[in-house]
Amino acid sequence: MRDALHKFRTLAVGAIAALAIGASPAFADESAEKFVAGILTDANVVFDAPDKPTRDAGIETLVDKYVDMDRVGRFALGQYVRQASDAQMAEYLPLFRKYATSVYQSTLDEYSGERLEVADSVDRSARDFIVDTRVVDAKPGSRYANIIVHWRVYRAPDGKQSIVDAGASGVWLAIEQQSTFKSVIANNGGGAAGIDALIADLKAKVSP
Amino acid sequence: MAFSNLAGAAAIFLAAMSGSAAAQGVAGDQTESPVAQSEIDAALSDTSAAEAVDPWEGFNRKMFAVHVFMDHNFLIPTAKAYRATTPPTARRGVRRFLMNIKAPGIFINDLLQGEIGRAGETLSRFFINSTIGAGGFADPAAQIGIARHSEDFGQTLAVWGIDSGPYLFLPMVGPMTTRDGFGKIVQIGMDPLLYVRTPPADIARYSRAGVGGVSAREQFLDPLADIEAKSLDYYASFRSFYLQAQQREIANGVVDYSGLPDIGEFEDFDELE
Repeated sequence: MRDALHKFRTLAVGAIAALAIGASPAFADESAEKFVAGILTDANVVFDAPDKPTRDAGIETLVDKYVDMDRVGRFALGQYVRQASDAQMAEYLPLFRKYATSVYQSTLDEYSGERLEVADSVDRSARDFIVDTRVVDAKPGSRYANIIVHWRVYRAPDGKQSIVDAGASGVWLAIEQQSTFKSVIANNGGGAAGIDALIADLKAKVSP
Repeated sequence: MAFSNLAGAAAIFLAAMSGSAAAQGVAGDQTESPVAQSEIDAALSDTSAAEAVDPWEGFNRKMFAVHVFMDHNFLIPTAKAYRATTPPTARRGVRRFLMNIKAPGIFINDLLQGEIGRAGETLSRFFINSTIGAGGFADPAAQIGIARHSEDFGQTLAVWGIDSGPYLFLPMVGPMTTRDGFGKIVQIGMDPLLYVRTPPADIARYSRAGVGGVSAREQFLDPLADIEAKSLDYYASFRSFYLQAQQREIANGVVDYSGLPDIGEFEDFDELE
């Protein structure tokens, strides 16, 4: 009997240990969640600004601080990133930064006057996290009520975290950008010519 | 660009101009589905995403151009006039009414997908909203916590494991995968009005199609204008938003993160570190 009890205790301890190990990614999440919560603290102040130029300037500052635009820009080229020359990349990346920032500005402007808070997070790997956020106190039935705004957090080997994508309700910006950019490149002959065409298009889009 | 409406904007034509805003609920049972995975797979592979999901791109782009022309010259002006002449509460009532009369079709598809709980929700909503909800113009069911969800036969086919097939765009019908196109045709048969062959029913059917199209377009005037203005290739952006939103619809609003492509784990990026 005592033996059985001992076995049971060993099993129980083992089960608790297994649960603890299984739950350990939650600790990783916590850091990603804190990172996004910190961004939201700044962002919620920006959303409160009454006029669009102030909000746009605020979002640009946040994007520069938290979004790893070089990484996203490379991702947006898809397989063509391997074919782009150094000169092309040097021209493309600053244009991409401007373009993607303007997309963040227009997409996030819908949240002016609202506040976002962290709701949940998912680990995709030890370096890749999705943090879900929601509008605080959204009225039931309002268009904000069921919206989840997602933030994709990348953690570099040195532990530095950055945002690499944002989305709402399962639709992601960088994935759309990659799909569109690849289409532009492919439809302009692919390779170097296609990348030049993309650069020209981006230039036209971001020029005031 | 109206961020929260990206999914909805891309899914504007999901229900063939019948006024269904893509349900934005997040509750629901997760359903395994490999849908639109092809786009994500293609995003990672060396083949062009377009080749993988859109083998009929040449045809589709022509149809898209026709659609955009009609959109600019007919749908957008009509939707703007509708917006200018009606108060927001009336437009919301119309949207709710149009959603409510879709309930029987949603109910059938809930059952076909084996989602008994969701079928019950759809049925309860239909009875509550059709009666104390003033024929569907109000949504008291949502107030007591029964949120709306949408299903159609295309989604049922997806749940049954039918592959999405190539992307197809048709003017005034909108974007679809071939599976969803087939689903739309079957879905017509699930419309109760189809079986009432009287002149008032005919008028109701045509009015619904017209009002549904205008109501749906009005809702997405701003997000679609923003997407069109921002995009380097409106056709490709529309396709990507549609396919991403569609995947989420099939998973009953549960966002599946496992299919996302890596951003930053490619060896090409290691030099950044």
